[in-house]
Amino acid sequence: MMLEVSHLAVDHGKLRALWDVSFSVGEGQRVGLVGANGAGKSTTLGAIAGLYPIAGGAIVYDGAPLDSRSPPDALSRGIVLVPEGRRLFGEMTVRENLRMGAYGARARAALNEGYDRVFTLFPVLRDKQAQPARELSGGQQQMVAIGRALMARPRLLLLDEPFIGVAPILVDDIMTALAAIADGGVTMILVDQNIRRALRFVERASVIHNGRTVLAGDSAALLADENFATTFMGLD
Amino acid sequence: MKRVSLMTLAAIAVAALALLPLSGAPYWTTFVFSVLIAYVLAQSWDWVAGEMGYINLGHYVFYGIGAYAFSIALTSAAIGSVTVSMVIAVVVVGIAAVLLGLPLFRLRGDYFAFATLALLPLAEVLTNNMSWLTGGADGIVLPVDHVLTVAFWLALALAVLSFITTLAINRARFGFALRGIRNDEEVAEVMGLPLLPTKIKALLLSSLFAGLAGAIQAWQMSYIDAVTVFGLNVALVPIAMALLGGSGLRWGPFVGVVLLAGIQQWLLVNITMLQATVYGAIILLIGRYMPGGMLRAGLLQNIAWLAPLTREHGAFVADRTAGQAAGGAAVAMPLDRIAIEPDAPPLLVCKDVVKAFGGNRALAGVSFSVGPGEILGLVGQNGSGKTTLFNCISRVHALTAGEIRLGGRDLAGLRRDEMAGLGVGRTYQIPRPFGDLTVAENVALSVMLGPRREAPERALAEARSFLAYADLDHRRDVRADTLSLQEKKLLEFARALAVRPRLLLVDEIASGLTPVEVRRFVERIRAVRDDYGITVIWVEHIASALNAAADRIVVLEQGQLIADGPPAAVFSDRRVLASYLGNTAEAMQ
Amino acid sequence: MSVDVVLQVVVGGVLLGGLYALVAFGLSLIYGVVRILNFAHGTILAVVGVMASVMFASWQLSPVLIALILVPGVFVIGALFYRGLLRPLERRSPLEATIGTVLVTVGALLILSDVTAVLAGPMQRNILLRAPVIEVGDIIISITQLAILAAIVVLTLAIHVILKTTWFGLAVRAVTQEPVAAELCGARSLGIKTLTFGVGSATVAMAAVLYVLTFPVDPYMGFGLTVKAFTIIVVGGIGNLPGALIVGVLLGVAEGLVGLFWGPEWSPAISVVLLLLILVAFPAGFRWRRA
Repeated sequence: MMLEVSHLAVDHGKLRALWDVSFSVGEGQRVGLVGANGAGKSTTLGAIAGLYPIAGGAIVYDGAPLDSRSPPDALSRGIVLVPEGRRLFGEMTVRENLRMGAYGARARAALNEGYDRVFTLFPVLRDKQAQPARELSGGQQQMVAIGRALMARPRLLLLDEPFIGVAPILVDDIMTALAAIADGGVTMILVDQNIRRALRFVERASVIHNGRTVLAGDSAALLADENFATTFMGLD
Repeated sequence: MKRVSLMTLAAIAVAALALLPLSGAPYWTTFVFSVLIAYVLAQSWDWVAGEMGYINLGHYVFYGIGAYAFSIALTSAAIGSVTVSMVIAVVVVGIAAVLLGLPLFRLRGDYFAFATLALLPLAEVLTNNMSWLTGGADGIVLPVDHVLTVAFWLALALAVLSFITTLAINRARFGFALRGIRNDEEVAEVMGLPLLPTKIKALLLSSLFAGLAGAIQAWQMSYIDAVTVFGLNVALVPIAMALLGGSGLRWGPFVGVVLLAGIQQWLLVNITMLQATVYGAIILLIGRYMPGGMLRAGLLQNIAWLAPLTREHGAFVADRTAGQAAGGAAVAMPLDRIAIEPDAPPLLVCKDVVKAFGGNRALAGVSFSVGPGEILGLVGQNGSGKTTLFNCISRVHALTAGEIRLGGRDLAGLRRDEMAGLGVGRTYQIPRPFGDLTVAENVALSVMLGPRREAPERALAEARSFLAYADLDHRRDVRADTLSLQEKKLLEFARALAVRPRLLLVDEIASGLTPVEVRRFVERIRAVRDDYGITVIWVEHIASALNAAADRIVVLEQGQLIADGPPAAVFSDRRVLASYLGNTAEAMQ
Repeated sequence: MSVDVVLQVVVGGVLLGGLYALVAFGLSLIYGVVRILNFAHGTILAVVGVMASVMFASWQLSPVLIALILVPGVFVIGALFYRGLLRPLERRSPLEATIGTVLVTVGALLILSDVTAVLAGPMQRNILLRAPVIEVGDIIISITQLAILAAIVVLTLAIHVILKTTWFGLAVRAVTQEPVAAELCGARSLGIKTLTFGVGSATVAMAAVLYVLTFPVDPYMGFGLTVKAFTIIVVGGIGNLPGALIVGVLLGVAEGLVGLFWGPEWSPAISVVLLLLILVAFPAGFRWRRA
């Protein structure tokens, strides 16, 4: 397994946000994390990306424990997070945003390759390189956010709600691009509040509820599981 | 017991101090006089900073204005009387405080601190240049002699009055309002607190004490100039004193003043240069190692005999709520039942409501109405405009277009603090408790700031029944920021009810709860309506909860209303399923 | 009053304003990245200015050499000041962190001014270079003034180029706009904040050496300068270099003209009054970065 999360616990200040999250991801797999608002999906991704310190349990990555003290530590091992809400550098141009994505030492060397790769995936960005990122539409901003993450040459890409605020027509474009990235050998963990869309994209998924993984399985099996519907939707 | 003995001790000390000027020790009398003045300044500064959370670095400006107004009045041929000059000083300072407060309170945080600090050099330039009034750089010499004894008594009286005022503020509704502002002024405002008048009142009170201190000091020294009353290093000393002791603590400014004044006196006697450096170093070290003050340092907190000095405000409140009865099984809230008439007009009407942030239309023309006594479920994906709609109803946002009417009244032009008076209570999706207040104080603030403006004693008593209703009474004396997320949500609910709403806006209160807890909330929401006649709008993602609680469901998608009807019909609507449930239900079929 | 006198004052004002702008750049960089308002910022100019004039008077060192000694020194001290005294406060609650940083920087201000006054004396001093002058009509401009003007332009351009093209500059702008995202891109915030504090302080040190070549400095002038620099970044926009330059020059010229027509004692009041007026008019303008 490329990534093994076992009994992960995370605190936000004095409060425990994550109690007991376990799941694993194999090299090249696409895995989903689903659950209600506030269930702990973003916190899980944040802990893997080095945003939050681990309070309990363990994350093992490539056979070695992942004890990142900050995102740059995780990034240097090839783990890159596309954060919820995109968090672009609004006053900087699209090109500068992408360049910032290649800040890490390894990626700096391959800067031009990186631009080419992003513009091939998202041709629409090529013409908008010189525009400030804040002037782009929601969907185009999301493309920049994904592109910025790609510039860092990720092995494991963490996607936190990449479709919020994206116009429906662009959702498909982004999905296609993500699939292409995955086919290129990048492992992915996707968090999406639209469960069917998520399950269409990933091979396996884990359900997080109240900071605990309560269910896991293949996408098809999960959709067929009545227990799953009750837990996730709250439809008794 | 300890508290009583401390107060008795203080009274004896004051009486003994009053005899000091008669003892024939002018050196010590002058020293204690300066300590008393410093205490008045530090303590009055702390009402605005420690209680209200606004760091007014220009507090000394009011001291200087008081000193100058007094001196100018006393030296003018037309006035000349000390009493009249004092009154004039107070009036001038009061006017200055209001005039400065109006613009300054538009700022917060660093900006407020910086702008107030910038007042000092401005005041210095003005006094130096307006020679016709202030004597310019030469200063003013007052025609007084041998007033030390009387000035000392005045300063002692003012210092005692400062402490009494502090105790009074601690107990009063006003003090609770200040602490509400310190923690989260928007929440306090939505509870019904008019912000600007409250802030101005606090600044006025604080500046009057500083101004009087300036007048007394000028009288005692019989000479003032701009550097003495507006100079940067003198101006920051009282603030450093309050912070050294512990800003916001009852005894903090006092302890800080005594300690720092003692050190200062020792330095004055023992070293002749680099005094400002030593002050600077003390200020720097306090900032680096004890930004909360000495009395809050862990070391001192654990010393038993210092306990009466290091008590936080919440501890005093816990004393007051501890012995009182009620709670436990008694879960009736002190609310009047609102009669629901069958064919009354709608309570809330939203008509073509538009709210745009820049180019992004969060609400793009939403119309619906809520009947009195109805429970309306409001659903939609993240970013569909639900919370924005709540913010529009509680006037946190002004509408871009359209109108909202409550009980027939157009809400346009109303202030946020007027909404509680109209009977709107709300919870926040991400709980926003007043973190450094106790749970009981949090709810009591709703009762105090709300339309009935209850006194703290009654409000704290009443808060317990709301807490009991929310199953939170057992946690009433802990700081609200130590609650778990679930408990914070219960606190939100109790606070919203304590406003005595006609219309209750509930924002994702059940998300992240266990199924059993969710069911408890469904029961509570229904009871709020059935038992008290309160109309409810409930935003929630948990379909089963809304299905069980709501009479009607409204669905938002990208700022537009896409469905409005009974739960059964809405939850089987294909478009709703596609939008809100992400097609899961469809996929399951 | 003749037109020439006014023009002469305007030239002086442009020079002074350009130096204000340099001080403001430093404050703007630090505030943008570290989110700390350094109350002792202007005091760096006062202290370095006094040191430069003492070095010149005692050892007849060339101003260039003085800058080469002092500027790196201030860079190191600024970085250490941040790491040792301000950084640890970031772990505390927001209110304590605010109070703490205000106290630490105000304390530093008092110490710096007092120690300088004790060691070098409280009087005003400057560096008097004997340089030829150029006469344009009746306006007299010294070669020194021209050199200062050129230095301001070069430094401004240099800062601009650094921010636009280097990895450090990119990271500074990224941290200013979205600190979390910058970390996610691999920028280590501690290193960048420390460097920025050093660079921001060093910028003031450079301004100080230029300042003392035409204008007098004294140990206590620092806070007034901090107010001016703050006014400039508030009006010009945090992180907006061209804006700061324009506002700085306008402020310098306005001070010169007010001094000419009303009397020099009124000049210091302009920036404070301007600051208060602007804060009153656009309080929301300053919160947009936090939102």
